[in-house]
Amino acid sequence: MHPPLTPQKLLLRTSLAGALLVAILLGCSLVGPQAISLKAAFHGPQIGGTPNPDYEILVRVRIPRVLLAAMVGAALAASGVIFQALLRNPLADPYILGVSSGAGLGAMLAVIGGLSWTLWGRSPIALFAFIGALGTVWLVWGIGRVTGKYQVTGLLLAGVVVNAFFSAMIMFLISIARSQQLYATIFWLMGNMTEEDWLVLWVGGGCILAGIVSLFFLGPQLNILSVGRQDARSIGVPVERVELAAFAISAFITAAAVSLSGLIGFVGLIVPHAVRLVFGPDHRQLIPLSGLVGAMFLVVADTVARMVVAPAQLPVGVVTAMIGGPFFLLLLVAHSKKVYWAA
Amino acid sequence: MRKWWLLSAATVLWMASGYALVRSDAGRASEVPRRQIPARIVSMAPNLTEILFALGLESRVVGVTQDSDYPPAAKDKPRVGTFWQPDIESIIATRPDLVVTQTFEQHRDLVRRLQSMGYESLMVDVDTVAGLFDGIVAIGRATGAAVQARTLCQTMRAEVDRFAAATGGQRRVKVLWVVQREPLRVAGRATFVNEMIELAGGENAIGPTLHVYPALGAEQVIAAAPEVLIEPAMLPEMIDEQRIQAMSYWSRFANVPAVQAGRIHVIDGDIVSRLGPRLPAAIRTIAQCLRPDLFGG
Repeated sequence: MHPPLTPQKLLLRTSLAGALLVAILLGCSLVGPQAISLKAAFHGPQIGGTPNPDYEILVRVRIPRVLLAAMVGAALAASGVIFQALLRNPLADPYILGVSSGAGLGAMLAVIGGLSWTLWGRSPIALFAFIGALGTVWLVWGIGRVTGKYQVTGLLLAGVVVNAFFSAMIMFLISIARSQQLYATIFWLMGNMTEEDWLVLWVGGGCILAGIVSLFFLGPQLNILSVGRQDARSIGVPVERVELAAFAISAFITAAAVSLSGLIGFVGLIVPHAVRLVFGPDHRQLIPLSGLVGAMFLVVADTVARMVVAPAQLPVGVVTAMIGGPFFLLLLVAHSKKVYWAA
Repeated sequence: MRKWWLLSAATVLWMASGYALVRSDAGRASEVPRRQIPARIVSMAPNLTEILFALGLESRVVGVTQDSDYPPAAKDKPRVGTFWQPDIESIIATRPDLVVTQTFEQHRDLVRRLQSMGYESLMVDVDTVAGLFDGIVAIGRATGAAVQARTLCQTMRAEVDRFAAATGGQRRVKVLWVVQREPLRVAGRATFVNEMIELAGGENAIGPTLHVYPALGAEQVIAAAPEVLIEPAMLPEMIDEQRIQAMSYWSRFANVPAVQAGRIHVIDGDIVSRLGPRLPAAIRTIAQCLRPDLFGG
């Protein structure tokens, strides 16, 4: 068993993880397929009236992309914690209730429909993915409500079936897509990271940060809930309200992350488990630490994805699974003696 | 309860400051005066590279995609990622005045990103034969090579028309254009391949389909009764190997006219799959498969 958590320990661990994240962000923004000079970049956007490529690559391509990876990683890992806690299932991840297939279907419809209008200079794919993701979670949540008010099996089954149904629709759309559209969507479905506009990063980052902080506020109640719903209710925890709030917030930040980056698997599943294995199951710590570790993990994975086959790039989802899988198994073997499985 | 109010207030403040930052930044977007005639051109597709070279712009091309291998001189140009996955860092590093792209989603996305950084781009929709001619004219206009573009179009048009004239009024040869053998996929009617087949005096053996490149079952192959089978090879050096495989695969359809007559052709895929200045050569290649009596085999 892990020793109990004290506020000092929590603060120390989070700040250390935060500092490490900042170091990784800096380091990774200096690495890329195109060698750039930091000194040249500091000359600003222009040198003697001509654009400064070093500055543009660093400030407009690398840094936005690295920050996006951090945001998406944090969102996926933190909501992975919540889904595992609420569904009381160690196999749960942020995609289990259909966010992925809903977002995928939305993105496919936007591509196949050949929508070429833009919203604030952005393609409608992200918007469609976002709507698809939230719509699906809402649908699954509704079905789950009807089928099993006091157990999660109904919800889980609804999620699995809706996922399967929407995946079939995605397959159908893929089968009728033109090859050019096909490539665009396949890259999207495998996780597609690009640099983003600063405004998008600011707004998306704000939403995700606020979401993670609110989940952190729910931490104590989630701890009680993980003992059992009946017990939690008898102590006076408003079970339904906490569950609904946690679901809604994590679905929202997952949808935001997915609409910005496509489907990146594995982060939301293994990061929470890895953090739990090493630091223990207390949600007050699990949520912020998973967020930070998820951010670091995805930033590193994306840097690998950019570098390995440069100037082409791998889909980042491939890298997360290929680095994350073996690493997680090592952790599992090394730490599993210490914990018992209480997700 | 207080922490929730604080969080909401902080979030609102965050969004508001983002809005303020964007407002203050809006006027400062990089406003570098661009040249009238671009001197540094980047091509994002192999067929666009071929067009740029055919317009005599070789010395002004500063970046091409990895798959741009024709004309051979294109291989010496700096690489800016692949057709499907443009690498925006290496595009910026070439300091382009003009980035020429196709119109599909990834390229549209690239153009959006480049535009937000103040780079000029030109999207051309080269997906049909008519689109090719329009694209050449558009590229010529944007690069100050309008005269060369018109000349190139006229020459190409004249050659294409020669094939049409030679096969006009004659019986059309039924062709199945095999994109992939297992599972079997062929080119449907809504493709530029279909246009090239018709310009070469042929006719697609399958009728209109829902899919652009439909998958076919054995039954449909037999019903289509193609007189000629054409397979574009992935790589020129694989033509012979692929021909052997094709022969053994198609021997199972012994009753299909093309197989009976041994008219199974494996041809250079690069020429026929890139819609560019080599269109007449592509049509000649196809015409030689369809009408060896007219064009020599």
